[in-house]
Amino acid sequence: MLAAILSATLLGVEGHRVTVEVHVSNALPSFTIVGLPDEVCREARDRVRAAVMSSGYRWPSKKVTVNLAPSSERKVGAGLDLAIAIGVLVADEVIAAEAVSPYGFVGELGLDGSLRPVAGIAPMVNALGRVQPVVPVASRHEAEVISEQRVRVGRNLREVVEALAGEAPWPTPPAETVVEEPLPIVDLADVRGQPLARQALEVAAAGGHHLLFVGPPGSGKTMLAQRMPGLLPPLSPQVSLVATMVHSAAGVRLPAGALITRAPFRAPHHTSSIVALVGGGTASLRPGEISLAHGGVLFLDELGEFSPAVLDGLRQPLEEGVVRVARARSSATLPAQFLLVAATNPCPCGGGAPGSCECDDGARSRYLRRLSGPLLDRFDLRVPVHRPGVDELLLGAGGESSAAVAARVAEARLAAYARNGSLNAQIPAALLDAIAPLEPKAQKLLRAELEQDRLTGRGYHRVRRVARTLADLDDEVSDLVLEKHVAMALQFRVRLSPLLRGRAA
Amino acid sequence: MSDHTDEAYAAALAGLDRMTVNRLNVLLARLSPPEAFAVAAGHARPVGLVAQLFDADGLAAAWRSSAAHRDPGKVWQQCLEHDIRVLIRGRAGYPAPLLDDPVPASVLFCRGDLQRIGGRRVGIVGTRNATGSGRDTATMLGRDLATAGVHVVSGLARGIDGCAHRGVLSVESGASPLGVVASGLDVVYPREHASLWQRVIDEGALISEAPPGTAPEAYRFPLRNRVLAAFSEVLVVVESRVSGGSLITVNEARERGVTVMAVPGALRNRAAEGTNFLIRDGCPVVIDVDDVLVALGLDSRRAGGVAYDPRPRPTDADLELLDLLNEPRTLDQLMLTTSRTLVECAMAMARLESTGWAQQVNGWFERASESATIR
Repeated sequence: MLAAILSATLLGVEGHRVTVEVHVSNALPSFTIVGLPDEVCREARDRVRAAVMSSGYRWPSKKVTVNLAPSSERKVGAGLDLAIAIGVLVADEVIAAEAVSPYGFVGELGLDGSLRPVAGIAPMVNALGRVQPVVPVASRHEAEVISEQRVRVGRNLREVVEALAGEAPWPTPPAETVVEEPLPIVDLADVRGQPLARQALEVAAAGGHHLLFVGPPGSGKTMLAQRMPGLLPPLSPQVSLVATMVHSAAGVRLPAGALITRAPFRAPHHTSSIVALVGGGTASLRPGEISLAHGGVLFLDELGEFSPAVLDGLRQPLEEGVVRVARARSSATLPAQFLLVAATNPCPCGGGAPGSCECDDGARSRYLRRLSGPLLDRFDLRVPVHRPGVDELLLGAGGESSAAVAARVAEARLAAYARNGSLNAQIPAALLDAIAPLEPKAQKLLRAELEQDRLTGRGYHRVRRVARTLADLDDEVSDLVLEKHVAMALQFRVRLSPLLRGRAA
Repeated sequence: MSDHTDEAYAAALAGLDRMTVNRLNVLLARLSPPEAFAVAAGHARPVGLVAQLFDADGLAAAWRSSAAHRDPGKVWQQCLEHDIRVLIRGRAGYPAPLLDDPVPASVLFCRGDLQRIGGRRVGIVGTRNATGSGRDTATMLGRDLATAGVHVVSGLARGIDGCAHRGVLSVESGASPLGVVASGLDVVYPREHASLWQRVIDEGALISEAPPGTAPEAYRFPLRNRVLAAFSEVLVVVESRVSGGSLITVNEARERGVTVMAVPGALRNRAAEGTNFLIRDGCPVVIDVDDVLVALGLDSRRAGGVAYDPRPRPTDADLELLDLLNEPRTLDQLMLTTSRTLVECAMAMARLESTGWAQQVNGWFERASESATIR
């Protein structure tokens, strides 16, 4: 007997439809799986056999052949278990073939027949298309977010088989009310002092400018960066769906409602490998941290400690908003549109006021050489952060709350989209004069900076984009970019060290 | 018997492995350069005091093998290629100030023209990790000394050294600079000083004890400092840590009876701790170029009056901020101290920076002197 069951497998962040064909014939009893299964998938043989038998069904003592079509694509993971088990039961005529055709099956089986969730339910259900997905109970929300069809669930193989055979209704787990997780407790109001850095966060959020904090240890770089997601508006429905798919594919825990609506915040450690950051791996092309940060913030603390190869790997995604990962057998395009926030010490010892650095020249220039160059160029905002003094801690205003700043940010972003159709960080250089015209005084100020070699041509454009964002955030709306906006934008381009003096920003 | 000039042999000899200042002195005090090279290469038998040198463990073998690889002809070719002159102690062209030095340099390498350094000489040294104000002071002293016709001797290191020579070179037809370096004269160190290095050669002279091709190994710097001190009539330390290379130069200078002077710094400034200690120990103070000129006996009174400053005068409001910059401050601190808004402070600093009154590094603002515009 032959059976064909719909299921799906995962490649990168995309699901691919897989037809599980099962053939049962009279020959020496055996059980083989063909069609490029990976190691986990091949082990389905043992799981499926045990699950079928512990659910109280007979395992056909015949030759069982399972083909995963299309057979030229690699299949990964245990998500095909359920489909294989159903296929065997259909081929063995326990279930009628017509009963399974309106459904697609995704889920891992336990030896006792229980149904377990797998990573990537969302994209796989998406790939199933116009059939009703049957998924493990725990993956219900994740599937419902994506699927336009009715989602069927089961706690174990027996429940699914009985429902298919019409012996029992589909299980309906109680509709639990989705409890929204409370907003993160990190709020900008907790930050004392640091007016410059606060302003930088606001500008970065409003204009989509990548942000680098430069300052000694203990100056609050990490604390500031963690407040970034709170300033970003909720994700648009499109971005939200993509972000959910990515998180699902990576097997990262999703929020209670399964849909990611708030800007994600990812902070990989500086020992992370290039594959962990950019994505890839052997067969499944798992999305990396930069894809998980899609729509949100990627925070790289101790930027100088990341390996140079990893930092170089960031350049292409920063430019294009996607990362193309290719391996010998497969390739995938993963979304990677994120706001890069990074923090670094000015030198290995941490630095401080001029003259207080303890590093020798070699160490310092090695440290800075890692940062300098093309990557440093990607940061529109390079902001000095200092250890706040006692006065600042005690007298410094507690400052506005995240909510108040986020409101301004949302408004500025709307204004930018209405005017340029993009965030200010993406304004093409050729359009700067049209979108961000300078008042004469502002022009004079920039001219002086260029003449004194403190600004390069590229830096000039970056300052103008940042100044545009500052103008958008200003209470008085103006189409012109004023001198004060440019003066402020210049403060966001710290000159890194006497060693690099003469080399313009 | 000798196929090459004495200079070629001297240059090859100076570059042997395990050659030291003292060994070179012993060899060249008793033997002519070709003879000395033959002895080192094992072609001739050493006698007397020279023979005692070879008591050192493995020295004979080390010299023999490295002499086999250092053909005097090739070394000489290298010198010619880079226009490097070789000066042997006691012969024509050897600089007079080093002749009777307690630890003399038997062989010196020179680029540029040492004849240009005919007048009074002042050494300017200091930390490589200088503050903005230290750099300004060094630049200013270099410029004013050159204007007054005094040669500035310095080490071309990062920080104070480089600034002093930049100051000298900013003056048209001022006194020529003299650079004393630790590496071979064709090995520019630090590399970012390549153009400064060349300008010092073009306008003045650059000397070193190391033959061409020698890397700037750490042990060569204290030796360089000794030559630098020997060349100076007055040594000015602009900024120095408590333990810094400049203090080695200070000790070498004191051993040679050279007047050491120091520029005072702010108390909490780590880069000026060494100089402040020097002053506490009785070292004369340098506030401006007149102090140095008085020490040289070139001037008996201060010039008085305020020098013309071409920078536009800041507005009163900006002056208030500028006055706060006598110690380094951040924008946040300025904002808190003056109770102005962030934008007001930013605008004031942008104005002060573009007119040359203030400078910023790593987010710290410092007051700049007029000489800060010299690059």
